[in-house]
Amino acid sequence: MIVPLGHIFLLAGIIFSMGLVCLVAHRNLIMTLIGVEVMMNAAAIAFIAAALRWKLMEGQAFVLFILAVSAAEISLGLALVVSVYRRTGSIDPDRYDILKW
Amino acid sequence: MAAILATWLPFISFLLIMVFTRNRRRLSGGIAVAAVTGSLAGAVFLLVQNWDAGKPIHYASRWLIAGDISIPFGFLLDPVSLLMLLLVAAVSFLVQVYSFGYMAGDPGFSRYYAFQSLFAWAMMTLTISSAMLQLYVFWELVGLSSYLLIGFWYERFSATQAGKKAFVMTRLGDVAFFIGLLLVLLHLGNVEILEMNSAEAAVRMNSGLLTLTALLIFGGIVGKSAQFPLMTWLPDAMEGPTPVSALLHSATMVAAGVYLFARLFPFFSHSSDAMTVFLAIGTVSMLLASTMAMASRDIKQVWAYSTISQLGFMIMGLAAGSLFAGTFHLTTHAGFKALLFLCSGVWVHLYETNDVYEISRRGGRRLKTPTVCLVIAAAALSGLPPMSGFFSKEAILSALAGLENPVWLAAGLFGVFLTAYYAFRLIFIILFPRGEVREEPPNHSLEGMGALYWAMGLPLLVLAGATVVLGFLEIPLREFLSGGTAAHPSADHGWLPYISAGLAALGVGITWSEFGRRAAPQIGFVERIPPLKELFTQRWYLDHVYRWFVNIIIDGFFSKACTKNEDRVINDSIDEFCDFTLDSGHLLSFLQSGKLRYNLIVMFAALALVALYFLLP
Repeated sequence: MIVPLGHIFLLAGIIFSMGLVCLVAHRNLIMTLIGVEVMMNAAAIAFIAAALRWKLMEGQAFVLFILAVSAAEISLGLALVVSVYRRTGSIDPDRYDILKW
Repeated sequence: MAAILATWLPFISFLLIMVFTRNRRRLSGGIAVAAVTGSLAGAVFLLVQNWDAGKPIHYASRWLIAGDISIPFGFLLDPVSLLMLLLVAAVSFLVQVYSFGYMAGDPGFSRYYAFQSLFAWAMMTLTISSAMLQLYVFWELVGLSSYLLIGFWYERFSATQAGKKAFVMTRLGDVAFFIGLLLVLLHLGNVEILEMNSAEAAVRMNSGLLTLTALLIFGGIVGKSAQFPLMTWLPDAMEGPTPVSALLHSATMVAAGVYLFARLFPFFSHSSDAMTVFLAIGTVSMLLASTMAMASRDIKQVWAYSTISQLGFMIMGLAAGSLFAGTFHLTTHAGFKALLFLCSGVWVHLYETNDVYEISRRGGRRLKTPTVCLVIAAAALSGLPPMSGFFSKEAILSALAGLENPVWLAAGLFGVFLTAYYAFRLIFIILFPRGEVREEPPNHSLEGMGALYWAMGLPLLVLAGATVVLGFLEIPLREFLSGGTAAHPSADHGWLPYISAGLAALGVGITWSEFGRRAAPQIGFVERIPPLKELFTQRWYLDHVYRWFVNIIIDGFFSKACTKNEDRVINDSIDEFCDFTLDSGHLLSFLQSGKLRYNLIVMFAALALVALYFLLP
């Protein structure tokens, strides 16, 4: 491996944190979804690095699964966002309080 | 092999029609008729092949094994079942051909043929079943397919009601039948027909138990063959298409009950007490149904009552100890009863009415083929020589004459007289219309039907031929059924045929004076006595008794208790539970901030802490 393993994990960690910040900091459901997506990709990078390091195919296979799952998740999530926007007229999760009161 | 092929062909056609060809009517009809033709060929082949075989042929393979009990699935071919197989195949074949004319243009044509195939399959497999549980399965399938066919025109409320009634009432008997089967299974360890019929069965079950079992199994026969007191479903079953009635009344459904009796004949005859009960039930149904038929105006209903009474006759013959008499009457009855219904079907189809007087006024007698066939069949029904009914009734009567108690013979002879009366009442009404004869053209013109009319006409001719000829086959059939040994009737009652023919002729004579003569008023003596007429047209108030029972006991007590239980116990407890859940949810919701982002932050912080805890040594 040309790039040391630690660097790749560092990269993955940075991307993961960026996703986390995106997830937590925005008052916008779409940005939340994007954050989740970014975090998943960070995990995928870590998997590929590990697969290269120990010469095992399982890690790469797992990445394919992650891609499929994230595709499904994003499509469902966007559909939910559209539907919830139509019902409440807002995509700010803090304003969804029907169940509470 | 031929047996398997013959019985499963209709099932294949049922599947094919239901799955692939529902929208293609002619193809579906063709498939069904081709399948039943194959079955008929198989049945004929089997009968010819095994004509001289003394021993029953028995194939069986295991179907289910549960503990010590194994349930076989197989075929048992003996003379009775071979004869019945041929009968079922032949009548199904003729009825299906006839239906090409009768059902032409019906939107449910494919569905009709699919159900017909299902019916044929169920009934034929029933006839050659080797074990009682297998027989029971197909017994229920026969019930199901007759339910489907009686309620075939499901848009009509009365048709669905009639189908439901038929299904529920036969189920009542079937429950008893099943309990009886379980008793046999517990005490004999299996329900093979051959083993139940062997003499060993009588040794291994004590006589009280044997009687109880026989009575319970007979309950199934009472339901299926519409005997007293479960007889009222059969007249209502007229709501189905007429060919269905023909099938139902001759070779399938109701015949299944009598066939079961013939099948388990040795088993039943172990218990003489049970046989006496059967005899009584047969006699009561026979007489009750005959009297009901005397006052009905509906052509199909008259034949339905006559079916009940003829089935009563068969049961009497079997219960009197003559397997041959019952089976022979079953065979001849299948022929002439199918003929009666198919003939009536022609008029019902053309004039779209069931009323005898209406058919008569509109010139029903101008249709030559059905009229002639109807007269032949009615003569057979009332037991006039030389039609087939005469021979078979005479066989039953001579079996009855062999009994010690002369009451049964007297009742049988009285039944012969009543039968002749009501059968010819209808014939004379149709032949000699009174009042202004409108001679209207039928609702469907004959010329327009062309080939379809002959699809209806040809089965009539075939059946009429069978009705005339079958009676003369009495001796070969007797030899065949008794397994090659030429059994002579033990006691010779030389005077009996004359008496019965005389009584039948007397019945016809009385009818002639009331309905046939030129000056005849066409009002029977029954109609002159209002209470009697009321009693007969209300079917001896049997339906009222059932209705009363359902109203008071079922609706008034059980149903009310169940409703209360549902309202008070189930509904209220669920309401309480829901209220509790709602309230506690309300309380718990104070714990929730409802801010998504803070939740996420807390969650990730917790995860990070857990990770630290595990990573740091």
